[in-house]
Amino acid sequence: MANEEERQLLVVIFDVNPVWWGIKSLQGQAQITKCLDCLLVFVNSYLMLRHDNKLAIIASHSTKSVFLYPAQESNQSPDPSKASTSDQAGGDCRYEHFAKVDDSVTDKFKELMRDGCEKNDIRRDSLIAGSMAIALCYIHRMQIESHGNTKLNARILVIKAADDAASQYMSFMNVIFAAQKERVVVDACILGQDSGLLQQACDMTSGMYLKVPHQDAFLQYLLTAFLTEAELRKESLVLAQSSRPREVDYRAACFCHRSLVDIGFVCSVCLSIFCQFSPICSTCETAFKPPVQASKSRKKRRALPANGT
Amino acid sequence: MERLQTVKLKRLGLHEYLCSLPPAILDSLYEHPATCMAVFRELPELAKYYIMRILFVEQPISKAAVSAWVKVNAKQDHNEAVKSMCSLRVWMESNLQGSASTAFIMSSIFRRNLQKALVGGGEPWSSTAHLGPDKHGKDIDSLDKYASERWEMLLHYLVGSETNSTISQDIKDLINQAGLMKQGSEGGRSYSIITAKGFQFLLLDNASQVWYFVLEYLDWVRERGMNLVPILRFIFELSFSSPGKDLPTDGRDEHVLICLQHFREMGLVMQRKRKSRRFYPTYLAINLANRANASVTNVTNTRGFILAETNFRVYAYTDSELQYSILSLFCKMLYRFPNVCVLQLTRKSIQSAVVNGITADQILHYIKANAHPDMLKSDPIIAPTLADQVRLWAMERDRLTYRDGVLYNQFLAQKDFEVLRNYAKELGALIWENSSKRYMVVTKDGHDQVKRYWKKYKKETDT
Repeated sequence: MANEEERQLLVVIFDVNPVWWGIKSLQGQAQITKCLDCLLVFVNSYLMLRHDNKLAIIASHSTKSVFLYPAQESNQSPDPSKASTSDQAGGDCRYEHFAKVDDSVTDKFKELMRDGCEKNDIRRDSLIAGSMAIALCYIHRMQIESHGNTKLNARILVIKAADDAASQYMSFMNVIFAAQKERVVVDACILGQDSGLLQQACDMTSGMYLKVPHQDAFLQYLLTAFLTEAELRKESLVLAQSSRPREVDYRAACFCHRSLVDIGFVCSVCLSIFCQFSPICSTCETAFKPPVQASKSRKKRRALPANGT
Repeated sequence: MERLQTVKLKRLGLHEYLCSLPPAILDSLYEHPATCMAVFRELPELAKYYIMRILFVEQPISKAAVSAWVKVNAKQDHNEAVKSMCSLRVWMESNLQGSASTAFIMSSIFRRNLQKALVGGGEPWSSTAHLGPDKHGKDIDSLDKYASERWEMLLHYLVGSETNSTISQDIKDLINQAGLMKQGSEGGRSYSIITAKGFQFLLLDNASQVWYFVLEYLDWVRERGMNLVPILRFIFELSFSSPGKDLPTDGRDEHVLICLQHFREMGLVMQRKRKSRRFYPTYLAINLANRANASVTNVTNTRGFILAETNFRVYAYTDSELQYSILSLFCKMLYRFPNVCVLQLTRKSIQSAVVNGITADQILHYIKANAHPDMLKSDPIIAPTLADQVRLWAMERDRLTYRDGVLYNQFLAQKDFEVLRNYAKELGALIWENSSKRYMVVTKDGHDQVKRYWKKYKKETDT
């Protein structure tokens, strides 16, 4: 049972990469608006569980991460006509708090899609590592603000669509270690292809990694697997994960090409990994002597004639 | 100690009260999304999970499938969750088509209304759009001020520091019935004085106080024969409303309107005039059905004002009479200034508080809840020496327990003594014995039996 003294904080990172979603909707397989609706229902259910559950939603774009909820104060003064329409709560039967959250998220989302980013900046991958870093900072701030009253139990749920980018490997690993240290649980819900980075993240923070085969059941997957907090999941529930611990690919990526390596060169000062020898380590700028292969071969050649003849 | 238990008991009282209602009434209660949400939040965690999991699944689920959702060692939680849901008629047993195995199905009314609360698609709960914008609209600050004023007036009445009669007779009756005050008479004039329960009530934090009071109110209302169901619905609706938004009084039951007037007096809602057609719930009402144990003073009306130091001095930066009276319950007042009061926690003061039924935990909780922001910076908030010493002083009174008994002594022979002692021990009436001096103490109830046995034994040995 959840401890009454603890409060929960859930940060949802929603991948809105325009390239991936655009391709999928052209193929008729997935629609971002439907996905957003499912997410809103899930978020409302989470808020319904307990009165003091806290929430934040971050949208992860190709070049920036934007808070969809709680909406940050913008520079322009709030539109008075908009305020009155939200007051009437749309004549809906929803609990008002939910309606407010939904409206705020959809407004910010529309704004993001409209302004988005420049044409040159559109890429196939999203800044997941950046969003996770922002999420961790937000969690840390919330923990400080609630200090002295209650403990805060924090979770990050990443809804990933686009593929992994090798360039994000370093930042990603650093973010995972930070999350591990802060005891933040990272869960992942994968809509596209399997992501090795997120598998590692979930495994190391004892979170849940789930690959959703088709989008129609997205809401049901979310409600089943990700609604409860990590403690309850671990102790009571039987949920099948999409990745066994043994299957997680823990290979490191080299610093020069970002390709996964099994065997490589390691700098003895800063422990950075390279797939091939380089005379100066790029991280700590230590100089190394080249390996002594050339002299060995000469020795062997000299020895051979002595033995041969 | 018994006070906190009574508060907890009352919480369960709501749950059990709901279980005791006949199914038809319960179903009509569930017609309103607010009730469904309130009931949902009361359930154990696992039950909440089950409900969410099958909220959008319209078919019955077999029992075997449901048990497969939990691990083996969580079976007890599972049974508890199922039991609580069935007793509230949220889940019902039914049969799976085409097989003999039993299944669970969620009550469709509950499901429908919970879905409505989540995704919308029904009518708004209540809106004042038809009344037009409020000319005398109140903002949140004035609402908060009103609420704290009214609630403090209630607490002042409890403490007896002001003899104004702005509390209606109904509320006075309610307080008496709740056992917070009792009638006393002195010199032919009857007045009310506060009881031990009342002291403990004062030390609770605001949310718990309001919750306790509302539960007592429900009991009181039940005795007066008013219909409880619409009132419950009204309370749930209040607790899920948002601050600053007004609600209409049209179309409500007359009992609910009476209840509204009572709440207005307690500070839970604000209504400009008795006949106004709209009212505003205040912060006291809004968090009502939610965990009243949430010790969060997130409403920044009450800034902490107590500083408790490790030399047992307590500084209270306040000028409110009420706070002084509460603090002087367990502290000794030393100096008083216009904006500060200096008190000291002494052995005598703590023990006099314990005599009144206040526990050390309640005292510490009160200090923590009203701690000054400077004090909140240190971790833990109350210094361990202070906390431990308060507890030790309170426990000192528990060193001795008293029990009535009868002393048997002046036995002539050791054998007589032993026979009687063994008999008393078998009976379970023996409290204390001293074999070398041949003393023994027997309970009052057992005394008759032991005496008769002794007389019989004497007769046997003499003859």
